[in-house]
Amino acid sequence: MELVAGIVVAVAALALVLEPLVRGGVDQGVAASPDEGIDFADIQESESPKIQALLALKEIEFDRATGKLSDEDYGALKKRYADAALAAIKAEEAAGAEVGDAVDDPAEAAIRKARANSGMSCPTCGPRPATDSTFCSNCGKQLVAPGGTDSCASCGERIPPGGKFCASCGTSVGALVER
Amino acid sequence: MTILGQLALWLALLLAAWGSVVGILGGIQQRAELIQSARRTSYALFGVLSVATIALVVALLRHDFNVQYVWAYTSRNLPTPYALSALYGGQAGSLLFWAFILTVFAAAAQWLTPRRYDHLMPYVAAVTSGVTLFFVAVVLFASNPFERMAFTPPDGNGLNPQLQNPGMVIHPPMLYLGYISITIPFAFAVAALITKRLDTGWLHAIRRWTIVSWIFLTTGIVLGMWWAYVELGWGGYWAWDPVENASFLPWLTMTAFLHSVMIQEKRGMLKKWNMILIVLSFMLSIFGTFITRSGIISSVHSFAQSSVGYFFLVFLITSGIALTWLLVTRLPDLEAESQLESMVSREASFLFNNLLLVGMAFSVLWGTMFPIISELVRGTQVTVGPPFFNQVNIPIGLGLLALTGIGPLIAWRKASTRNLKRQFTGPVVTMLIVAAVLIAVGVRDFYALMAFALSGFVVGTIGQEFIRGVGARNRLHGENYAVAFARLMARNRRRYGGYIVHLGIVVFFVAFAGNAFKKEMEASLEPGESVTLRSAFGYEYTFTHIGVSQYEQLNRFVSAASLDVTRGDEPMGIMTSEKRQYWNSFKEAQFQPSTEAAIESGLREDVYVVYAGSVEGTEEAVYSITLNPLVWWLWFGGFVMVIGGAITVWPGGGGPTRASLRRAMAGYHAQMVSGEKEEAAIAG
Amino acid sequence: MQDSVIVTRRAAVGAAFAALLPISIRAGQGQDTTQSAAPERLPYPGMVGAAKERITDYENDPFIIGIEERLRCTCGCNLDVYTCRTTDFTCGTSPEMHRQVVRLIESGSTEQEVIDAFVAQHGELVLMAPKKEGFNIVGYVLPGIAITAVGALMLWVLSRKNSVTAAEAQAAGSASIADTEMSADDAARLEAELADLE
Repeated sequence: MELVAGIVVAVAALALVLEPLVRGGVDQGVAASPDEGIDFADIQESESPKIQALLALKEIEFDRATGKLSDEDYGALKKRYADAALAAIKAEEAAGAEVGDAVDDPAEAAIRKARANSGMSCPTCGPRPATDSTFCSNCGKQLVAPGGTDSCASCGERIPPGGKFCASCGTSVGALVER
Repeated sequence: MTILGQLALWLALLLAAWGSVVGILGGIQQRAELIQSARRTSYALFGVLSVATIALVVALLRHDFNVQYVWAYTSRNLPTPYALSALYGGQAGSLLFWAFILTVFAAAAQWLTPRRYDHLMPYVAAVTSGVTLFFVAVVLFASNPFERMAFTPPDGNGLNPQLQNPGMVIHPPMLYLGYISITIPFAFAVAALITKRLDTGWLHAIRRWTIVSWIFLTTGIVLGMWWAYVELGWGGYWAWDPVENASFLPWLTMTAFLHSVMIQEKRGMLKKWNMILIVLSFMLSIFGTFITRSGIISSVHSFAQSSVGYFFLVFLITSGIALTWLLVTRLPDLEAESQLESMVSREASFLFNNLLLVGMAFSVLWGTMFPIISELVRGTQVTVGPPFFNQVNIPIGLGLLALTGIGPLIAWRKASTRNLKRQFTGPVVTMLIVAAVLIAVGVRDFYALMAFALSGFVVGTIGQEFIRGVGARNRLHGENYAVAFARLMARNRRRYGGYIVHLGIVVFFVAFAGNAFKKEMEASLEPGESVTLRSAFGYEYTFTHIGVSQYEQLNRFVSAASLDVTRGDEPMGIMTSEKRQYWNSFKEAQFQPSTEAAIESGLREDVYVVYAGSVEGTEEAVYSITLNPLVWWLWFGGFVMVIGGAITVWPGGGGPTRASLRRAMAGYHAQMVSGEKEEAAIAG
Repeated sequence: MQDSVIVTRRAAVGAAFAALLPISIRAGQGQDTTQSAAPERLPYPGMVGAAKERITDYENDPFIIGIEERLRCTCGCNLDVYTCRTTDFTCGTSPEMHRQVVRLIESGSTEQEVIDAFVAQHGELVLMAPKKEGFNIVGYVLPGIAITAVGALMLWVLSRKNSVTAAEAQAAGSASIADTEMSADDAARLEAELADLE
């Protein structure tokens, strides 16, 4: 009786382990779902250099707010990590242009649009980070309401800074320049 | 059931050998069918060893005394929970249990690890199978719980009375869970070394495992202290016994790792060091088992001497050599990505925290091994007892406590003097106030004073961190204080969960320091006689002997001595300490009579009474009475540490939404995809 | 010893009983025999382990306890004599060693002489912590020295690196100040990306 149970266990275990050899292994390709890769519970686990640099920026901001960083140190560190973040953003965009637009969810496009539109723009310097200023902190000109610059030549939709194609109709920004 | 158990063990041996070979082979040759087979071995091992474990449990519950192990550790009248705990009460069973738990973790690791770490998994399967192979081999060839005897005794030997305690039912499994779960991070570390994928990826894969095993280790150690306190009857909880030290060593190195890993994640530094800490933690957990099993160092916990020690020694040496080779050949891949920016930074304070933690591990190891070293060098054996360990380790411990308070006050990357002043004022003032109050009250013990004052400092730091953090969120994001506090905790679980662990550590230190003020005495009392003892808090306790009653209970004969206790004029009730003579189902005495202490636990102090024995067989009783200040806080501190640890690993809630995460990650994925295309193009 | 007072038997019955057990004291007054008679024998004296001796002042004497805490019980329990005799009541060795300490003290030995006598009899193994002499000193100081040495080395390396990086930073700093501010486009883009992580 026990021996039978033992043989059943043995057969089951060996079948489980040897089956791939008999059947020939199936290559488990990486699924291309957009959520694949966001399987971490903590954003700090992301391996994206952009996110790491952005997190460092947030931390520097927080450390200054809690009084741990002096203003000079804050300035220097902020510059370094902002540069790193920008470099990473540009690298990602360059790759993104090759693969095609990764953002396919219309709801997200709307969010991004709204977010990009929320800031005021300077006629010469483009969108400004400060949302409540009247004058551009870079050149001093009066800021205008969003939508004034960098619009799509075809449909008039605002194009996020650095965007190469209109997120709404797909017209190339290059086309805008040529006209 | 022993045939089934034996069969399962042999099957496990076969499978484990298969898994370790095929995992490495499949990984190196990138053969999908071998990789899949190796990964499935982890599940198969779990199944097979479950069968073996269940077989032993059934034998224990059926009182099959023909099985030597069942005879040696149980008796017919042993209560069922203890019959179950006999599974790990003896050497052979505990080794089987160890192997079983290892396969649980190994299967969980294969099951739960996200797909993006697939490249590491065949090696992880190989390493866990390899370690399982070792344990199964030890069980089969050196210490087999399924061995039968030539005859069947009518009743068993019974379980050691000291193990017949609820603490003993849960303390060893917890400690084992802690020890064994280190194998998983270790397996990932080895996988990363073999594949040379030594970026922070593998660290993310093991983050939860390291914290979980740290939580188990902490729980196991604290429960062990609790068991020693309630069961061993000396009114203490830590005696620097070799086995206690053995559990403390991996805890220290794991704690060091949990800190230094943050530097690698944030700054890409200390890669070699982190690798060494993980490997060291694993080796120390095996070393701890070796110490317990080999009998090379005498200890109250020692199992009977057996050949098991040699197996462990061989395993330690061979794996030590293999790991050193692996590490040395990978050193060029472990170069730091950035440099320390300032000597006054969080990174630097972590370096010193690591120095002290690892230094303490070294000093504990050194003290534990010193009897052997002394015998080798001088030919004379010496005893290295608590006085030695206290002398060496209390200063290091206080240094660590100080760093617990200093570290969080310094910013990552850089800190300037003016900011430091702003940061340190609050905590230092708290420390001075605590010290002044204690000196005014009349506390003179230097170490205790230091411990209390530094605890004040750390509490000041943690309080300030929470207050300023809430303030900063309030200013930066305009949240009200309640929302700000909730978000602060939810968004930075690691940091603030870590602070809660630090609070637990502080409570621990306070409880330790309380030990300096314990009061103890012995007294022989006739019924009606009383004795008084004044505690460190100034209470006068009066103990009046009521008498001794004797009766049968469960699997034992009890002699219960009762004291009527008053504190000042206030009655505290009756405390009863027992002498227990365990017997088997034929009422034949087993073991020497054991003692059950009576403990009246309070926030200020514990009253701890032990019935030491009777004077010439009369009702006149000899009592040993201890007033233990602040012991309750030890258990509470352990609880706080575990809660804090759980907060740092708790999944879900807070943080960016999935949609915005997807947006943020889109570019990175695109980059990865195009990178893969390029790789494919190059390969093609 | 100042903290503990062993009350005499008579006083105990008088005070404690009167306060706590008024019924028994009435019974006691009626018979008045319990005090002089030896305490009753237990029904099963064999079940409480080895017979103990009455506690005298020696057992609670901090001086003697201090000595005993430095001596290791030779029964193999790994405990010091004091802890063993107050914990492991099955051990016959530690009470014997305790009596030996008491005898030596009564005969006028000093603490060191008692310790020396035990070392002469059992060897160095009888000390709970090794004597601070010869090779044992290495045992005591090595961890401390190792930590201090590594710590000092770390400080030295850090401070050297620090001055190097500081010089580099200064060189780089003058260059980076010359760098223009981040362009407005870039600033806005960073803001948007940061908002995604909130």
